[in-house]
Amino acid sequence: MIDVKNISKTFVSHSTEVKALVNITAKIDPGEVVVVLGPSGSGKSTFIRCLNYLNVADEGSIIINGIDILDPKTDINKVRADVGMVFQSFNLFPHKTVLENVTLAPIVVRKVPKQEAVKKGMALLKKVGIQDKADVYPDQLSGGQQQRVAIARALAMEPKVMLFDEPTSALDPEMVGEVLDVMKNLAREGMTMVVVTHEMGFAREVADRVIFMDEGAIVEVGTPEHFFSNPTHERTKLFLSQIL
Amino acid sequence: MRSSSASKRSKQGNHYYFWVGVFIFIVISVVLSLYFSALQIDYTWRWYRIPKYFAYNERVEVKADMDGKVESIIKKDHKAIITVKGPQESASYTAPKGTLQVEKGDTIYDGDILATYKIWRVGILLQGLWLTLKVSVIAIVFGIVIGLFSGLARISSNPALKWTAITYIEMIRGSPLLVQIFIWYFVLGTLINNILIKHGMGQISALWFGVAALAGFTGAYVAEMVRAGIQSIHRGQTEAARSLGMTYVKSMRYVILPQALRRILPPLAGQFISLIKDSSLLGIIAIRELTKATREVVTTSLQPFELWFVCALLYLVLTFTLSMALQYLERRQLAV
Repeated sequence: MIDVKNISKTFVSHSTEVKALVNITAKIDPGEVVVVLGPSGSGKSTFIRCLNYLNVADEGSIIINGIDILDPKTDINKVRADVGMVFQSFNLFPHKTVLENVTLAPIVVRKVPKQEAVKKGMALLKKVGIQDKADVYPDQLSGGQQQRVAIARALAMEPKVMLFDEPTSALDPEMVGEVLDVMKNLAREGMTMVVVTHEMGFAREVADRVIFMDEGAIVEVGTPEHFFSNPTHERTKLFLSQIL
Repeated sequence: MRSSSASKRSKQGNHYYFWVGVFIFIVISVVLSLYFSALQIDYTWRWYRIPKYFAYNERVEVKADMDGKVESIIKKDHKAIITVKGPQESASYTAPKGTLQVEKGDTIYDGDILATYKIWRVGILLQGLWLTLKVSVIAIVFGIVIGLFSGLARISSNPALKWTAITYIEMIRGSPLLVQIFIWYFVLGTLINNILIKHGMGQISALWFGVAALAGFTGAYVAEMVRAGIQSIHRGQTEAARSLGMTYVKSMRYVILPQALRRILPPLAGQFISLIKDSSLLGIIAIRELTKATREVVTTSLQPFELWFVCALLYLVLTFTLSMALQYLERRQLAV
């Protein structure tokens, strides 16, 4: 489903170079839930943003659903339509109602008739438990509610894979649970997911595999059992001792 | 908000009303000092002469231009058609019913009055006001279009688009509008009209060069506002839109621009009010807008004091209406 080979990414600003990704290779199979862990600055956000071409990898190849997204001839919009993305800061459209947030992309990108999009949108809002807020504007919602709308908005495009970039990091602690519950349900339904998070509980419970990154490189890959109970690398042990 | 300022007012009590009194005193003394200074130079205020420049009642005489006899008078709806038959030819004249001064069978000589009536005509000030409004509205519409596209070009990563936009914006913002009007009319106007003549096509009137100057001028300022508006929208909005598969154009159209335009509405309103006022410069290229119209009336009526006040007041009506309309729009959007 997603096949990443040897990608690297260096940010250059004011003649200082920051190596965000160094030679990353990873493979995500259909139906798999992969959680990316790592200390801040380890490049995990850059990695997941590269998968959606929001950051452009300098070298290597990223194949999504058989399409090489780094190929200049690729229509990235077509690829993105099949890849849902959820951001740390929700990024809901503030000038649109909750329902309009969810139906906008299906209508203008997929050309779904409005009636159908609304029907589907309402079903998705029900799924994330927020159907009674369909006609309010995002700024009237709590952070947890906004993030659930953002998940519904991504799901409305019927993506084949969902990318989550620290979806709960900007939330008040009491709202983290409601968002994680939605994500767990999604995983149970067999959605392919790549999740960058600091929620160890989620990783342990839901992940099929855990990727641990540090300083732009993948340090260790394994099942949650392996990762949390007997990690191989010193760096992983240090990280776990700091956060658990 | 309103109730809190009202309660504050009652607490402040007499102080508040004292300063209200001072304000009224200032206004009255300005008006009075103007009036008495005018008396000093023996200026006679003749406000009653002003209304006729808005609309006046014109007396129309229907005159015969031949000798003959009134052959028939046919009354139809509100009109009467008088047919006069002369020795060789006959002619018919039309006038409103009930204004006729002849009857059937009357003998008519050349120059006789067949009917007199009065009709209302639009005065020169009202004509000027209308032209100012027309020029402003057209220039605003084009200004928005030009501003939108050059604003988008300004933030484009394509150097041709970007530098064209920058050159345009800097040139317009760095030179006086009056000079730009002269260039449009005397330079570009001459060139364009001469080329049109060479190809046997019609001429473009001064009005359109005036509109072009105003629209081009406004466009440059609108462009900078559009740029600032777009750049003020958080990057995450573009990323969210693009991650859903929207193209650049779609993300602009459905996500970024609606938010940006909402934000730039207040400065945009100020720009359009400036444009209405700046249209007063167009008199210089013989467009008879409100200011030019007033100048013409002043030279014939010799009542400059009243007329210039009236002129200012008319501009105020236009700008105030526009500012109210945009405030309404803004409030309606904030309520959303």
